[in-house]
Amino acid sequence: MNRKNKSKNNDAFRMFMGKYGIGVILVFMLIIISIMKPRFIYPSNILNILTQISVNCLIAYGMCLAITTGGIDLSVGSQLALVSCLLGQFIVNMQMNVFLACVLAALAAAFLGFVNGFLIAKFDMFPFVVTLATQLVIRSMAQIISDGKGLSMAMPEFKVIYSGTLLGIPLPIVYMILISVVMYIVLHWTRFGRYVFAVGGNVHAAIASGVSVFWTKTMCYTISGLLAGLAGIIFSSKTGSAQSNIGVGYETDAVAACVLGGTSFAGGIATAPGVLLGAIIIGCIYNGMNFLNIGSYYQYMTKGIIIIFAVLLDMVINKKGN
Amino acid sequence: MMKKVIATLMTAAMAMSLVACGGGGDTAPAQDAGPAQDEAPAADDAEAPADDAAAAGDATAAGGDLNGDGKIVVGYISKNTVDVFHAQINGAAEEKLNALKEEGVIDDWTGILDGNTDAAKQCDLAQDCINYNCDYVIILPAESTASDPAVTSLSDAGIGVIVVNSKTDSTDSLALTYCGSDDVFAGELMGQYVQEKVPDGGVYVHCQGIIGNSAQQQRGEGIMNTVGADSKWTLAADVPCDWDPSKAVNAVDDYLAQYGDDLKAVICDNDDMSSAAQTECNAKGREDIVCIGVDGNQGPLQMVKDGTLGATVLQDGAGQVLAGIDAVVKSVNGETVEKEYSIPFVLVTSENVDEYLK
Repeated sequence: MNRKNKSKNNDAFRMFMGKYGIGVILVFMLIIISIMKPRFIYPSNILNILTQISVNCLIAYGMCLAITTGGIDLSVGSQLALVSCLLGQFIVNMQMNVFLACVLAALAAAFLGFVNGFLIAKFDMFPFVVTLATQLVIRSMAQIISDGKGLSMAMPEFKVIYSGTLLGIPLPIVYMILISVVMYIVLHWTRFGRYVFAVGGNVHAAIASGVSVFWTKTMCYTISGLLAGLAGIIFSSKTGSAQSNIGVGYETDAVAACVLGGTSFAGGIATAPGVLLGAIIIGCIYNGMNFLNIGSYYQYMTKGIIIIFAVLLDMVINKKGN
Repeated sequence: MMKKVIATLMTAAMAMSLVACGGGGDTAPAQDAGPAQDEAPAADDAEAPADDAAAAGDATAAGGDLNGDGKIVVGYISKNTVDVFHAQINGAAEEKLNALKEEGVIDDWTGILDGNTDAAKQCDLAQDCINYNCDYVIILPAESTASDPAVTSLSDAGIGVIVVNSKTDSTDSLALTYCGSDDVFAGELMGQYVQEKVPDGGVYVHCQGIIGNSAQQQRGEGIMNTVGADSKWTLAADVPCDWDPSKAVNAVDDYLAQYGDDLKAVICDNDDMSSAAQTECNAKGREDIVCIGVDGNQGPLQMVKDGTLGATVLQDGAGQVLAGIDAVVKSVNGETVEKEYSIPFVLVTSENVDEYLK
């Protein structure tokens, strides 16, 4: 009896950690950093961190879809650059309406995401190779469009996308919340979401049960492109400039956020709240290390160590079949 | 059961690793910051962020403590921490700021914040500095336009902004001061040196830095003003080399194969590239090709001393950032700060290399 109870407790603990383990890590981090530097936990700094992670969070949602289907999307950093340069041409050189320009730029990014997905799903090419190649193509397109020059987009109607507030909350946080809700619904409540998990979890079973692998994968990369496009708009508004050299290495942070959030590289496992928590942790690591005066040479190491331990922890807790 | 134990251990280990790294990086500052924070009344401390905007008005009158929290805190946003040139600047700044802290001129500083050559990252760091309650922030912009929101948001928060090395768009109107050197002049120095060394002219290659970077653009402008405008010289190509020496070597190989003996000079936007280019030329038996670049890093300076590199243009990065820190000290002491301090570029040849080689 006693033994049965114990194993029940054990299961409950595992369920709890499996679902919220990453949240526990976050709380740990917040407490430790706050004790060392109380200013870290001030509301103004919390808003600051959430605003900073918005770009990474959007990219990470797209990355999460790609990883869940067993792939990866390395082209997101270049997508930021392309969207930025397109916005520069549309808004500065063509005097286009800001809203229209943003819609067109995001659609362009979505289209390139579609191309990624089409190549991957239609020809069964490796996602790593396809997106490694398209990232070069997209970066080059950005350089051609901008002629390598930066354009200033400091006009208030464009800057407000990043610097505006709604009820005192910075707009990037509002976008992030909206996208998080949409992503939660898409991943966990819709048929498409179930297809994504099915394709990533067991392709043969998915095919057998009538799921279109082609459309599921293509849609995932299209959405990834679209989200990278939206992130690119926020990014451009943040810096107030259109440039082709931005977004280098941004895929790394997105992958890190996914992995921290429990997205499995084996495919088929992911949660939307996990990705959000992962992005928040990455943001807290960056901001917290600066607050703790940790030298920049140690920062990447710390980030790497935290990711490895988080993933180890996750694997130990979620190990199946035992 | 076992798993539970392991899981708990892992979490503990992870938390420890964070603390361990924290301790390792920053033993001294953390200890110093502690007592200082205690002295300030808690209530006052909490209100400080709200006071930022109000304090901005009488910034100069406050005598250094611009945000009125009883402490003088300096932020330092680097361009990056990996380039040799910037590592040198950061090193000089770190030494000086630590010294100032020990002397009690300033109460604390943020440490070297890594801008990662990413303007968006610098904008984030600017927000971090505001939340850190900095009174002054020294920033080395990654981009002239894209890093500008960092300068404007700092300035809006009532912080004294010291822009070092290259300007952002609103530096002239918003920054407390700018300390840097004129990159167009550096380009012209390189062009003139090449014209002097090879009076008959010929073909030259221009190895560029990362496209869009203001240093790359302005040095390129200086080159165009000199050899570019000289009918005896023909430009083989502007090669985008991203400040990367290995790409400059590839460019040398490509254009040597194409132009052979007609290739007379390789002008590079930095001297990591020009020294690598010269080494490649020398290895191919073409010591006559004049390679020159900007920065005055220790490697190229050593080559100038050894006679394997003709000359390099020294940008006194340490001088720029030290001028910036001096401006902070002047402002703290209530002295007037000039809007701009210009630190000259120097052409370094075998004659004066000993002055600059450490």
